[in-house]
Amino acid sequence: MENIQHRFGAYIKIHWKTIVFLGVVLITIGLLDQFVDSYIRRLLNLCAIYTIISLGMNLVNGFTGQFSLGQAGFMAVGAYTVAIFTVPIEARATIFYLAPMTPLLANIQLPFIVALLLGGLVSAGFAFLIGGPCLRLRGDYLAIATLGFSEIIRIVFTNTQTITNGALGIKSIPTITSLWWTYGIAIIIIVLMILLINSSYGRAFKSIREDEIAAEAMGVGLFKTKMTSFMIGAFFTGIGGGLFAALLGTVDPKQFYFTLTYNFLLIIVLGGLGSISGTVIASFVVTLGQEWLRFLDEPMAFGLDLPIFRPGLRMVVFSALLMVVVLFYRKGLMGTNELTWDFIGKKIKVIKSKFNRKKSASQGGDNK
Amino acid sequence: MKKMLVLLLSLALVVPMVAGCSGSSTTAEDSDVIKIGVFEPLTGANAAGGELEVDGIELANQLRPEVLGKKVELVVADNKSDKAEATTAAARLIEKDKVVAVLGSWGSSLSIAAGDVVKTNEVPAVALSATNPQVTAGNDYYFRVCFLDPFQGTVMANYASKNLNAKKVAIIQEVSNDYSVGLAKFFTDAFVKLTGDPNAIVATGNYNTGDQDFTGILTNIKATNPDVIFAPGNYTESALIIKQARALGITAPFIGGDTWETNEFITVGGADVEGAVMSTFFDDTNPLTEAGKTFVAEYKKAYPDRENIPAVTALGYDGYMMTLDAIERAGSADPKAIRDALAATVDFEGATGMITIDANGDAQKTEAIIKVVKDGKFTYLDSVTVQ
Repeated sequence: MENIQHRFGAYIKIHWKTIVFLGVVLITIGLLDQFVDSYIRRLLNLCAIYTIISLGMNLVNGFTGQFSLGQAGFMAVGAYTVAIFTVPIEARATIFYLAPMTPLLANIQLPFIVALLLGGLVSAGFAFLIGGPCLRLRGDYLAIATLGFSEIIRIVFTNTQTITNGALGIKSIPTITSLWWTYGIAIIIIVLMILLINSSYGRAFKSIREDEIAAEAMGVGLFKTKMTSFMIGAFFTGIGGGLFAALLGTVDPKQFYFTLTYNFLLIIVLGGLGSISGTVIASFVVTLGQEWLRFLDEPMAFGLDLPIFRPGLRMVVFSALLMVVVLFYRKGLMGTNELTWDFIGKKIKVIKSKFNRKKSASQGGDNK
Repeated sequence: MKKMLVLLLSLALVVPMVAGCSGSSTTAEDSDVIKIGVFEPLTGANAAGGELEVDGIELANQLRPEVLGKKVELVVADNKSDKAEATTAAARLIEKDKVVAVLGSWGSSLSIAAGDVVKTNEVPAVALSATNPQVTAGNDYYFRVCFLDPFQGTVMANYASKNLNAKKVAIIQEVSNDYSVGLAKFFTDAFVKLTGDPNAIVATGNYNTGDQDFTGILTNIKATNPDVIFAPGNYTESALIIKQARALGITAPFIGGDTWETNEFITVGGADVEGAVMSTFFDDTNPLTEAGKTFVAEYKKAYPDRENIPAVTALGYDGYMMTLDAIERAGSADPKAIRDALAATVDFEGATGMITIDANGDAQKTEAIIKVVKDGKFTYLDSVTVQ
């Protein structure tokens, strides 16, 4: 018992402000869920899903320091598990109109939450299978191997027509519209991540990131620890992929090109490799930012008919903004810091002291 | 310096926000305007196709800018050839821009992704060149102006069996492309039925989008010695297949679907694609209807430097015109009334032929155009009527 407490969460003091903050967040979600239109709802849902998937990726890339690019593959596994097991049985004949679904699966329908968890578990299972050979590789080689895995998954799903319906994809997946599904799961996963990172496992992850040899010398089992991180990351990603399928209501292999992984790589680098709060912030910034810049695609953006305002401009501007952010914040928005109350307090102090200095400087006439 | 930049950047972000907000709020209240959403991939992998459809829609909009005494405004939303983006783009058109109908999208899977959005928001959508049956299946709010994969598969099977007297056919399909897989399947069904021979398809080869080398598939096919090779799929890969087949000494004619009809097909294939036959929606030298003649004349006026008219542009034109016709018959710009009017479309004269919408929301078309590559040009060969 003591051991368990020692491993998980013994070092986390829950500040009263945290509880108030969580309360405010929950009430906000409740209000948003009641009052926003389906467009905003869809965007907010995407933000939460991208948060979940990016957290899974940051656990491996940011906290454990293993450069893995298999995110799209794990997402595909989660998404297809949810799709296959939640599509209404009566709709299956019309969806699988080229080749009927295999009789092994054709009559199994699971509740959404069960399918979602199963998606996460299957995804973690795949992580176990490919982690064995791949995690012995380091740096670029691991990246290449995991990238290869995600492409293999996509090609396999394209060809297993009786299970995944091949290139036609699966549609009519019962959709989630409430914000509670995505945000509820996102909050649970954020809490799990915080507990995990502050446990002895989390410290082992970070020690591997800092120096593998030193970590091994201190008694951290490299392979086992890397595998744990890889599987947990894949589990989160699988869950995120399942939610993604349920949000869109349709999956097909083309969605899961390896370029999808770069979306999440962008989010974790922008937020800060090794920062949970940074990942959350960056998920919102990237998802909402791209959508908000859409006005640049309209020909009459500023009431003037300028020829440069045409579809595609927003992506140019978005990339330029990203470059600026990365230039000024080398380690991402948050670096490896977390948005704790101490951190906020310190920042406020810094701003205050700067302000005071300016004031005194202008009063005293000191131009330094 | 750093502060200056941060200030400038934040200014750059805030100013457009204000501009964007004021812009959208004034037009939303403007009731003299009927808004129609154009939902197309304008960036990403499918951008070329999306552009062609938008050309057709804009041309139609110039010709007929008003309905019910109100100005029609097109709101273009880019779906980035990406499914997640497609659903938000469609939701944005409906919720933020308050469009009464949506046109698009190029690419069946993008249309399928948006299907759920238009259905729950009860705004009708008209697919222009999305040929996959699943776009309209089980969705009362999605319609289309083009023919479907089953029809096109049947047309080509008829052509192979009757015009080319083929008994044995080999199929090469692009397995990662829903369009190609669907066409291959319906071709197989129709061809087996026509010949009465269950083994009429002697070989099937699969390849993935982006593949470059097809000699393995082609060697297998050569061994079975087919009369005709049916190879629906992307134009670049298909042209490469034909090239490599000729290099291997395969002389059987190649037939395919509407995706072949691009200039790239001829530039990549060169002399080897001479004689390749495909089915398509529209032929600019032989319009089937009066509306088609008007369209061709107007297109030539608008784009005098373009050589031939892409079929999807004609479909874009038809989609817009059919929607406006439905708004006129509905007598109001209420999305539900427009949906009902669209569903009741009978014998609408489009540039690509007469359009009657059936119970599934599909255009009942009975005529397809057969074209052949001749002297480096797509030339009208025949028009086929299949019931």
